[in-house]
Amino acid sequence: MEPIIEIVNYTWKYPDTEKPALDGIDLTIMPGEFVGVIGPNGAGKTTLALSMNGLIPGQYHGIKLGEVKVLGKEVEEYAKGELQRHVGMVFSDPEAQFTAMTVEDELVFGLENLGLTRSEIKERLEWVVELTNLERLLNKPPYEISGGQKQRVALAAVLAMMPEVMVLDEPTSMLDPLSRKRIFEVLSQLRRTKKHTIIMIEHSLENLIPLTDRMILLSDGKIVSNENTRIFFQDAAVQEKGVYPSEVIQYFHSLKKQGWYEDEIPITLEESVERQEKLLAALNSASHQRGV
Amino acid sequence: MNKTLLGYVPKESPIYEVHPFVKLFFLLVVSLFPLFVAAPEWNFALLVFLLALMFVCRIDMRTLRIYVPVAISMGTIILLSYTILGGRHAEFQVIATLLGFPIYWERLRDALVVYFRILPMIATMVFFLSTSRERDVIVAMRSIKLPFVVTYVFAMALRSAGMVLEDFHIVRQAEQARGFDTTGKSLAYKIRKYVMYMIPLFALSLRRAEEFTNALVARGYSFTGKAAQVKRADYILTHYSYKIHDYIFIILIASAFILLVYLSLGLGYFDLEKSLFIQWLHQLVS
Repeated sequence: MEPIIEIVNYTWKYPDTEKPALDGIDLTIMPGEFVGVIGPNGAGKTTLALSMNGLIPGQYHGIKLGEVKVLGKEVEEYAKGELQRHVGMVFSDPEAQFTAMTVEDELVFGLENLGLTRSEIKERLEWVVELTNLERLLNKPPYEISGGQKQRVALAAVLAMMPEVMVLDEPTSMLDPLSRKRIFEVLSQLRRTKKHTIIMIEHSLENLIPLTDRMILLSDGKIVSNENTRIFFQDAAVQEKGVYPSEVIQYFHSLKKQGWYEDEIPITLEESVERQEKLLAALNSASHQRGV
Repeated sequence: MNKTLLGYVPKESPIYEVHPFVKLFFLLVVSLFPLFVAAPEWNFALLVFLLALMFVCRIDMRTLRIYVPVAISMGTIILLSYTILGGRHAEFQVIATLLGFPIYWERLRDALVVYFRILPMIATMVFFLSTSRERDVIVAMRSIKLPFVVTYVFAMALRSAGMVLEDFHIVRQAEQARGFDTTGKSLAYKIRKYVMYMIPLFALSLRRAEEFTNALVARGYSFTGKAAQVKRADYILTHYSYKIHDYIFIILIASAFILLVYLSLGLGYFDLEKSLFIQWLHQLVS
């Protein structure tokens, strides 16, 4: 299978900056993968996202070295507006990405750009509205709805275009826990279909981990770690790299360090409950054998 | 209630039975009416008609009170410009002298004519903005096949106005939160310190513009190139269709305009010489 995104020795430096935002990145993403990108602020996550969508170098000035290929073609080789039909992008500030006066127009805008007919647009609109639960908001101005609803609209607007790749740049950073949960529910449904390749930059690891196939850690413009999600969090030194995994993962690392636990570190809440039960059962059994 | 550009109109309002293009057509044509009418009483009648139309369309008439100070200030400026600041004209009839300035009958009359022309024009605009949402404006423009770019830029201008106001509010609150308050200060001080608002507002506007461009590009929109040549479906128009009454309204408005132009330019109706109000006023001030 051919990679959907292939980044080779890629460096990007913004004008008037000392260091490049991305420095010698090598990354390959396969179709259908759900990749999480994490790292501290200023690590280069957004620059990476913009590079995959072609906004860099298209909309920004800077110096580029290396290759960023999407569907086997260098991003600069795409005609204006063409790459964005393959790679959709959801920004962190939902309000910054609205282009229309009502939610419905917002959802339809990208579809009209694709040149779809009215019946095709209607079909996709119905699908995406149902998926993201936006029926009641269609006639409202997008800037008058709640933050969570705004981000769902932004996600739906990209989703409706059915891009092969979706890049989500901290889409839940401005949302309350409930709204965040709703966004992740939609992403969870998308993940099950495996129709889209999803690259998600996110700080909310407890929500991100269960969805991702792979986790990439960026720091100072470099890829520090690029592993299968399960393997990624087995490393006890992950915190030293600037990642703060969920408390459940930290708890099991702590147990392992103290010799109470030897198995694989659980990465989701469900797994950890299961492991904890086994651990307690083993402790009980040991206590009984010792006659305590 | 449905939010419109200038307020709220109940969902039951009959205005929603009308196609957005009819409203735009009404605005564009009826606002020209006063240009062909010099007699103030006819323009006043048009103003009354427009107010009645607003009432029928269930616009909250109380909101119109905000335009009263505007109308008064505008009237004052026009009156001052035409009378005291209107210059000296030996051929005109002097009806009074104020602070050494001669007040001419002709200048007073012209001020009234202009004022009564502007009032119905503003009322037409208020009627349109009070009964239309941004979307209606866009639909109206697209239904007459205006290029997408034109309608889009117009829509964005409408949206930007709201965003700038919102940003201004945020900046002002942020300044106030840090102890900056102009309450009770002189106007000169307020104007001088206005820069405190303008600099962050300007920076925010630049950022918004950049974000907005990125959003457009990210959705596959392009002003030039192959992507810009895509035939747009104008899906928004599927929600609107012309009904028989829309055609009737369009014909009525157009006929009224043609008749008005004929009566005015062809037969000389609505001239000042035939204005009963002007004749009465002339007698009064003479």
